[in-house]
Amino acid sequence: MDPSEVDFLSEKQHVKILPNFKEGRIFLISGDLGPFEPGLTAEVPLWMAVNLKQRKKCRIIPPDWMNIGQLEERKDEEKEREYFTEMPSKSYLELASLLLKSARDDIPHADEVQTLIKDIWEIRMAKLRKSINIMMQEKETHARLDNLTHLEINSIRPFLTSALDRMHILRCNVVENPSTGTDY
Amino acid sequence: MFGEKALELVKELKRSGDGSLPPYNEDCVRQVLDEMKALFEQNQKDVSATVAGEGGRIAGVQLRHASLERNKRCLLAYVYNRMEKIRDMRWDFGSVLPDDVKNNLNEHELSWFGRYNRSLAKYMRSVGIDLTQDSKPPKSLYIEVRCLVDYGEFETEDGNVVLLKKNSQHLLHRADCEHLIRQGILEHII
Amino acid sequence: MAENKERGSLSDILNDSVDSEINEDEGEEVTAAEVLERLEQAWLNEKFAPELLESKVELVECMLDQIKEMEENLKEAGKGDLVGSLHRLEIQRIRYVISSYLKIRLKKIEKYAFHIMEPSNDKTDYISRLSAEEHVYAKEYCKNVEDLLKSLALDDMPPNINSLDKKKSVPQPNLDSYLFMKVLQPQEQVELDPDDQPTDLEEGAQHLVRYSVISSLLENGAVALT
Repeated sequence: MDPSEVDFLSEKQHVKILPNFKEGRIFLISGDLGPFEPGLTAEVPLWMAVNLKQRKKCRIIPPDWMNIGQLEERKDEEKEREYFTEMPSKSYLELASLLLKSARDDIPHADEVQTLIKDIWEIRMAKLRKSINIMMQEKETHARLDNLTHLEINSIRPFLTSALDRMHILRCNVVENPSTGTDY
Repeated sequence: MFGEKALELVKELKRSGDGSLPPYNEDCVRQVLDEMKALFEQNQKDVSATVAGEGGRIAGVQLRHASLERNKRCLLAYVYNRMEKIRDMRWDFGSVLPDDVKNNLNEHELSWFGRYNRSLAKYMRSVGIDLTQDSKPPKSLYIEVRCLVDYGEFETEDGNVVLLKKNSQHLLHRADCEHLIRQGILEHII
Repeated sequence: MAENKERGSLSDILNDSVDSEINEDEGEEVTAAEVLERLEQAWLNEKFAPELLESKVELVECMLDQIKEMEENLKEAGKGDLVGSLHRLEIQRIRYVISSYLKIRLKKIEKYAFHIMEPSNDKTDYISRLSAEEHVYAKEYCKNVEDLLKSLALDDMPPNINSLDKKKSVPQPNLDSYLFMKVLQPQEQVELDPDDQPTDLEEGAQHLVRYSVISSLLENGAVALT
């Protein structure tokens, strides 16, 4: 999947905004939104939030988990646990990137937040690479990966699926020709 | 060696990779087909002889048959793979092929392209959507641009009118100003 | 919605137009939002599945109708409005999903044209998965390709090998391709691999498996590709 499509999907998530305009309910095809009152929080999809922010029509309220305290806790937990923790969103990195790019002034301690999220991502990716190695070595034929997020899955998809496809072919050949040995 | 010419065709295609399609190799194709004819005729002779009681010909027949199959496979791969590249050009270049591309196609390939074009157009009309547009998802973010010349008024998709004066800066959707950037009227500020 | 609506504000005009209740043939009422969700999942399923899936063209048609209606009202309401621009952004997004979905299907039809159109008892009936328009397209595509192979190669070959074996020598999808799926409805005792014990699939779980193992679950909506 193209990275632009991963971003596209992540933009469906809802975030809270503080509009500076007044408008009644909006009936989008994908659902009803609003009404919008200056100074009162409203919930809109990320793609709309970013658009309104850029046109200076709102401030964006970062999600609860996007603060230093909670992120530091998550980072510690991710480091300690062998398996993947559950992330607050299946598109946490895309969401964070987009907000840090388009609404940085609405995020307290943006620099630290950015670093922490990047750290968490890297810890998870390292775990992912390790799991893949183990999967290859153990010649697993399937795997369960509940807490992987969209971007993480997408980043390993090309390599992992084609490697497993090939291994499957080899395995089938061995089954058909047992005399050629089982070590492949 | 049987099948050498056929292999040349395949190699030629592989060499061109993702680049432009080389001219249709009439000569080489003709040579492969001639070889196939010769192999077939020799096999027919051998089979008749075997039926008439002569021995020792089976191996030869088998070898020639294998060569025939290989030649067929290479030739079909050559034609089919060229066809796939020509097909993909409809999506990359549009319904009119540039001259330098057209010159490398033979008449049957050109006619194939025409039929493909018509078939695709019919499908798109019937579903009511042009599939050759929108190859990337829409972006939410505006891009910042600087106007390089005095262009005048410009209406965006939203109906906002912007005055593009030299050195003015604007926030626009990529879809709105892509063509202006390409023409050198606007400059993307990164 | 009020009977005598004053067609004053833009919001009123636009709100009037969106039919939030769409009646499906079976009498089931679905909202436009739900149709869009289903279309988006159909798009992802089609994107990641190695073979052509069942056509969900009715979802496409429904969305195109919604878009058309919305665009009519936007025209009526005039330009330069905040709400109008937001509607337009949404329309762009939906158009993209529709376009990508149809394109992915078309590419699969082209890639496996002969395999799809060749009737056979021992494989999936792909023809039943084609929409009426796709069926026409597939037929024309096969004929076009076959004519080319014949005129440039096959017709000049010796008589005993001058035909195309449409059952064997044509591209076929790899049904054992690996992919990622998520479980929508819990399933009991599913065999994820012939060498392993069957496992229960929990709702919300994500698995990396071979397509062939879950293709029927995908068909009935128990799992989705991700």
